[in-house]
Amino acid sequence: MSRIMAVAGRELKSLFYSPVAYIVLVLYLLFVGLLFSMLVFIPGELANPQPMFAWNHLILIFIVPFITMSLLAEEYRSGRIEVLRTSPIAEMEIILGKFLGAMGFYCVVIASSLVFVLTLVAFGRPDFHPIFTSYLGLLLMGSMMVAIGVFFSALSEHQILAAMSTCVTLVALGILVGFVRQLVPTSWFAATQIRHVLGYMAIESHMANFARGVVDTQNIVYFLTGTCLFLFLTYVVLESRRWR
Amino acid sequence: MQNAAEIVVQRLTKDYGRFRAVDDINFEVARGSVVGFLGPNGAGKTTTIRMLTCYMPPSSGQARVAGFDVFSQSLQVRQNIGYLPENTPLYPEMRVEEYLDYRGKLRGLNRTARKQRIAEVADRCWLTDRLRWLVGKLSKGYRQRLGIADALLHNPPVLVLDEPTVGLDPSQIREARKLIAELAGRHTVLLSTHILSEVELVCQRVIIIGRGKILAQGTPDELKQQCARAGAAGSRLLVEVRGPSDQVLSAIKALPGVEKVQVLADGPVQSLAVVGRLDAQLREQIAALVVQRGWALREMRIGGATLEEFFVQITDPGTSQAAA
Repeated sequence: MSRIMAVAGRELKSLFYSPVAYIVLVLYLLFVGLLFSMLVFIPGELANPQPMFAWNHLILIFIVPFITMSLLAEEYRSGRIEVLRTSPIAEMEIILGKFLGAMGFYCVVIASSLVFVLTLVAFGRPDFHPIFTSYLGLLLMGSMMVAIGVFFSALSEHQILAAMSTCVTLVALGILVGFVRQLVPTSWFAATQIRHVLGYMAIESHMANFARGVVDTQNIVYFLTGTCLFLFLTYVVLESRRWR
Repeated sequence: MQNAAEIVVQRLTKDYGRFRAVDDINFEVARGSVVGFLGPNGAGKTTTIRMLTCYMPPSSGQARVAGFDVFSQSLQVRQNIGYLPENTPLYPEMRVEEYLDYRGKLRGLNRTARKQRIAEVADRCWLTDRLRWLVGKLSKGYRQRLGIADALLHNPPVLVLDEPTVGLDPSQIREARKLIAELAGRHTVLLSTHILSEVELVCQRVIIIGRGKILAQGTPDELKQQCARAGAAGSRLLVEVRGPSDQVLSAIKALPGVEKVQVLADGPVQSLAVVGRLDAQLREQIAALVVQRGWALREMRIGGATLEEFFVQITDPGTSQAAA
């Protein structure tokens, strides 16, 4: 456990040493600010931050790849992976350490949006329950997104390639699946079932409940299985790269 | 015998696809000794080292480090080994102290042990004045020292250093060798290199590897003797004569038993290397010749076989009979 925390701590610090972290933070604040000022902060309306959280994944899809891209890709490129893997640390400890380090930074990113919640509190009386569940949702959604990022970072030596493949996957899960679902013709065999499966795969459908203030185990299971699946796949990739 | 060997390698083989990088090698390294692992680039040194340090599993065969099997007891092996990879990859954004602290955590050292060990290795590797520096700002020499300090941090019984002196300037190389020589006795050191003088200076034993096979092993002196024996016909007689250069050269060439004369230095005094049947008769003939012509004989000796000659001879693909 202490080894996992050592890797995670180093990774988190390292993210703050790089300019990418600050660019990511600024961009996130900029776009969440846009959502906030256009959809939430409207004089005379109810102080309801729900749209800001329901659309948050659209921003995070383009933010998370930059947090995770260097995690393992850079270790391979620089040759430091050799130092890491000849240390007395298990593969899964490396992966979990990297994952938690990136999650730490992700938490800082989503926590920065509290600025807008505070603004809302200053001008109105929002319901705190959905705000709390929204952050829980963002945390769970983020863990799946970061796990996907860790996975693609393990596949390549090039950070940009890792970032792009993460981004494509997240766009597919977060945006495209929702569109494709609409396009399935009702005349198809088992059209409703196909739509149902596609709907279950989409990130947005699971985030929407949390943003409304609903905590459904189905959504929690979705994000947690996604996280475990991609962390396990990362383990498989790391193991197989050893034999080459 | 089993107890005295810290590294035992048996029939170790590694294939990269169809290319066999390491081919069925066997060797042992005695506890507390410094062993040079010598070979030209691409001979399989790094591959062997990577298998010993558990970076990659062997295709077949086995290896034991500090009593643990590299395949089935990989974590224990890694706990007992300090490894300096080629090119010393480091995190440029960290401070030296911070990096060593992180490495200590990975090896499971507690806070007080880390503090104490960092001070110790920094002192030993002349890093104390650089502890607050960013790793990325260090010179090549200091990076190398940091790599060695990292390998030493958890005080492992076995040290594996892959080309530790590459890229250092002469005075840094001397320091690094001094450090490695100091490590003998307390640690078992496997030192990979392709620099021969390094091996002669710091190693008690030498293992020469080429094209994935072990070509020779023994102490540097043993190898030199072996070399002298194997290449007795090819040894050289070094002669220094004062006289007219063309006459000296042709006269010596004409002597019976002389195969070839190399001019090492020309001028009023010639330095020549005579290759041929170097029996006592030839030496006397040369001496008589010089006196007879009225030249001056300044020096005559049989050139000692160097490790370098042996190395070139046995690792050259053209002379495969030397491997036997």
